[in-house]
Amino acid sequence: MIWAAFTSEWTKLKRRTLLLSTFLGLAAAASLFVILMFSQASANGGIVTLHQLARPNGLVIGVARASMLLGVVAFGIAASQMASEYSLGTLRQLLVRQPRRAQLLAGKMLGVVTFLVLALCFAGIVAFIVALAAAHSRGVSTSAWFTSTGLGDLFRELGDLALATVAYSVLGLVIGLFVRSAVFAVIIGFAWLIAVENIITRIVPSVQEWLPGASITAVASGGVEGVGYQHGMILSVVYVVVAIVAAMAVFLRSDVTA
Amino acid sequence: MVIDQAMDRTSERPARALAVSTAGLTKRFGERTVVDNVALAIPAGSVCGFVGPNGAGKTTTIRMLLGLIRPTSGSGTILGGSLTEPASYLHKVGALIESPAFYPQLSGRENLKALARLGRIPLTAVDPVLERSGLLARAGDRYRSYSLGMKQRLGIAAAMLAGPELLILDEPTNGLDPAGIVEMRGLIESFANDGITVLVSSHLISEIEQICDYVVMIRAGRLVHQGSVAELRATQQAQFLVAPEHDADRDLLAGILRQSGCTVTPEKADGVLLVEAPGADAAALNRLAAQNGIILRQLTARTRSLERAFFTLTGTKSADVPPGQEMGAIR
Repeated sequence: MIWAAFTSEWTKLKRRTLLLSTFLGLAAAASLFVILMFSQASANGGIVTLHQLARPNGLVIGVARASMLLGVVAFGIAASQMASEYSLGTLRQLLVRQPRRAQLLAGKMLGVVTFLVLALCFAGIVAFIVALAAAHSRGVSTSAWFTSTGLGDLFRELGDLALATVAYSVLGLVIGLFVRSAVFAVIIGFAWLIAVENIITRIVPSVQEWLPGASITAVASGGVEGVGYQHGMILSVVYVVVAIVAAMAVFLRSDVTA
Repeated sequence: MVIDQAMDRTSERPARALAVSTAGLTKRFGERTVVDNVALAIPAGSVCGFVGPNGAGKTTTIRMLLGLIRPTSGSGTILGGSLTEPASYLHKVGALIESPAFYPQLSGRENLKALARLGRIPLTAVDPVLERSGLLARAGDRYRSYSLGMKQRLGIAAAMLAGPELLILDEPTNGLDPAGIVEMRGLIESFANDGITVLVSSHLISEIEQICDYVVMIRAGRLVHQGSVAELRATQQAQFLVAPEHDADRDLLAGILRQSGCTVTPEKADGVLLVEAPGADAAALNRLAAQNGIILRQLTARTRSLERAFFTLTGTKSADVPPGQEMGAIR
């Protein structure tokens, strides 16, 4: 039953415009970050030094820094996918064909999450190719990237990014379900992740480690200042589980009048 | 009292297998009761019109039947499945609820495939329903490029996808032009010929009258009447439009008719009287006028319409819901 909802969701997700805009959009965002990082890098300072980029984890530095941007995009797409079922009125059609609501929601979530994780993987591959070209143009040696340490770091970082994408996607889906408007869901998500958390952290720095955006960013980046990787992982899982339980509780009981 | 009489007539009907039956179906949104103690009994195989003015509670009732809205109280069975377990019967039900809703970027065919996959219906069922609804030639076009009539037909195709035993169509002719309405009527008749029970809601009673053999009337959330269309028509008194040859005879004619037990109301048209004649036919009226030396230039029997029946049963002359009883956004 979940599989039926999953394949149905993919019928919608694989439409050309959404597929191209998501996959190419994420790839462009990641590539832009990589290009900026290489272009701004200098021999002795800046965001990152050319020497740091030549290390085994040189590529990972750039990808990790793009994690927030990629997460925000994933959040927005997930939120709009869920909210549009309400705004278009298509949810009533879906519920007539699949009245088991828990299975419908689980299948939809699984569909959107896999779609965004695949888009992220595609973005990672494109960003890697762009990084090779950028390194070549800046005269940065990439030989260390292909050592076992370098590749290990790269795959670990991609895994962390995928986990973060899962979290951003689930939170996006849940906000979309609660708000029921694609535009508002995206605005709320962006405002929270980009502005509200920053403001809260500046006013009360001690709460940073308990905020969802900071926790997920810590997962994506292998830990950030103020939030450790493990702490971020545990808190992210808690946020995701609470969000799913809340979404299920609302979705199973609410009247569909849209 | 009118409702009680209607319920009495319902209970007198001989038992037939019911596709839909509910008891005490009620829905409240906060303080507002939108559907109030509705007991439906829709025979299997019928084309049932579900009529009532805008805001009467038709859509809310339909949504409860489809498991989209949870009843506040009441029970029911649909195709033998309990109303509290929509999964037990919805695989045998097709529905078009209000305006058709599909993904605008997908083609008509892809939209149906998404629904087919969700309902675990073979994808081979998609093209036949597109063909039946007359959309096969445009099935590959994006939904957003469809005209309103095409969107409505895609909604019908989606409803037919599961090979339903019960088809629930909520205002299926909304926004259609006259040709589209005729087409929709033809489609509904063809479903009935296939033995599918069809529940079609509309606020246009005249529309329902043309396609339905059974009717459920609802007003302000309450059941007003349910029964066969023929039965309901039979309860209506005969009405005639009568006009004397000379206008000067009009008052005399009205007096004679009133004396014989008819109810006479002057119509707006010059010299024409609307006559309700219990038990009388056109010949009797003509004879009565002739016996009093009045030649009639018009004697027209009025069809016993459902619209009249509705107003008679509700004791109103307007289809509007009384102030304070509107359903707002939820119909």
